[in-house]
Amino acid sequence: MGFDLAFALSSVPTILGAVGTTLCVALVSCIGAAAIGFFFEMVRRAGGIAGLTVGFVIDFIRSTPVLAWLYFLYFVLPFYGIRLGSMTVGVMGLSLYYSGYLAEVFKAGIDAIPKGQSEAARALSLSRRDAVIHVIAPQMLRNIAAPLGNYFVSILKATPYLAVLAVPEMLGRAFDIASETYRYTEPLVVAGLIFLALALVISHGVKRLERRLLAVGAR
Amino acid sequence: MSAQSDTIVDIQGLNKWFGALHVLKDVDLTVACGSRVVVCGPSGSGKSTLIRCINGLESYQQGALRLAGTTLGLNARETASARRQTGMVFQSFNLFPHLTVLSNCTLALRRVAGRSRGEAQDIAMAHLEKVRIPEKAMSYPGQLSGGQQQRVAIARALCLNPRIMLFDEPTSALDPEMIKEVLDVMVALARDGMTMVCVTHEMGFAREVADQVVFMDGGCILDRAPARDFFGSAGHPRSRLFLDTILKH
Repeated sequence: MGFDLAFALSSVPTILGAVGTTLCVALVSCIGAAAIGFFFEMVRRAGGIAGLTVGFVIDFIRSTPVLAWLYFLYFVLPFYGIRLGSMTVGVMGLSLYYSGYLAEVFKAGIDAIPKGQSEAARALSLSRRDAVIHVIAPQMLRNIAAPLGNYFVSILKATPYLAVLAVPEMLGRAFDIASETYRYTEPLVVAGLIFLALALVISHGVKRLERRLLAVGAR
Repeated sequence: MSAQSDTIVDIQGLNKWFGALHVLKDVDLTVACGSRVVVCGPSGSGKSTLIRCINGLESYQQGALRLAGTTLGLNARETASARRQTGMVFQSFNLFPHLTVLSNCTLALRRVAGRSRGEAQDIAMAHLEKVRIPEKAMSYPGQLSGGQQQRVAIARALCLNPRIMLFDEPTSALDPEMIKEVLDVMVALARDGMTMVCVTHEMGFAREVADQVVFMDGGCILDRAPARDFFGSAGHPRSRLFLDTILKH
């Protein structure tokens, strides 16, 4: 079975047509995962029963397959009267699943700030709120820029899972072409190359961002 | 019991535990306004913990610590407002690495003292002049040497116009050639009449500026004396031993 370049090229526009959906799902899921993850980490940090519960939830999420979450949200929730569109379920599933990982990223980002920083803030009589806004958060952002970018790429690569919900993302589109023509190599290779290109562009952007953040007041 | 108006720190029977570890044992110490107290002792003697109690960074379990007439630890709001009378300088500088030298100094002026940007910058620049580093106002801490960073940290602490300055081993993390520039700033501050409590091993500094030298070991104050007596022949045998050890080299 050879590689038909002309056929490969002819499949590009169709597959590229889904790049918007893929990027959009990845971006919204990443923002959702970051928001939920940050909230989880704040609650866990506060401790108490709520903190312990959230800690368990984070561990639970991280120990289950993402596909299980998608199936659960899509096929189980309707039994309880909650009916959501496939796109919504896809974004919710990815957001929830990755929030567990991003909570860990935030934790590491905050833990890496030397204790002396918040002590200096207290010694200067800054309020807790001012200390978080002006001292802790900016330094945390610098610490998490790289892992956050990596997770964005991970989420991007997880979007093909949404094929099981019939969300029209890139790999699903490529597979549709393949099933119609019985030629699998070309569409799958094209989809793979587009994923590779996206991942490279994003990691490069993250590296530049990180370098800029680190350049500010390099220790 | 009312503290005399010329006493800024009044510590009575202070006890503190870290878990099972008894780190401060029945510590009594008063610091008069305008006086300079040097606290020395071997590491692990509780001297850093003591100075961190004075501005409420550490809590205590027994006894009383009055700062500027307020008993710390009873009421969070009162403790916070008493803390505003203090400025603290840490061993590891603890400048904010993502802010310029100037912003390090203006942050509390703007957020705590409510000064405008212009006012805050004027005050900050005046203090940066005082520590002889105004030309670095726009630099980031990472671009400065340790000695320069510590001088900025002193300027930052002075910005809120504290009545007492607390120094927690300010020169211990510095290379030897940078110790002097920091000590010079501290001596100048002492000459200006600033009330100071300083944990340090710099006995030359203690001899030069201290009114009172306090020697701690094992969480207790073993010896306290005016500087000339402390360095003279009198004093507790344990502090004599300590002095002999650190002055020998």
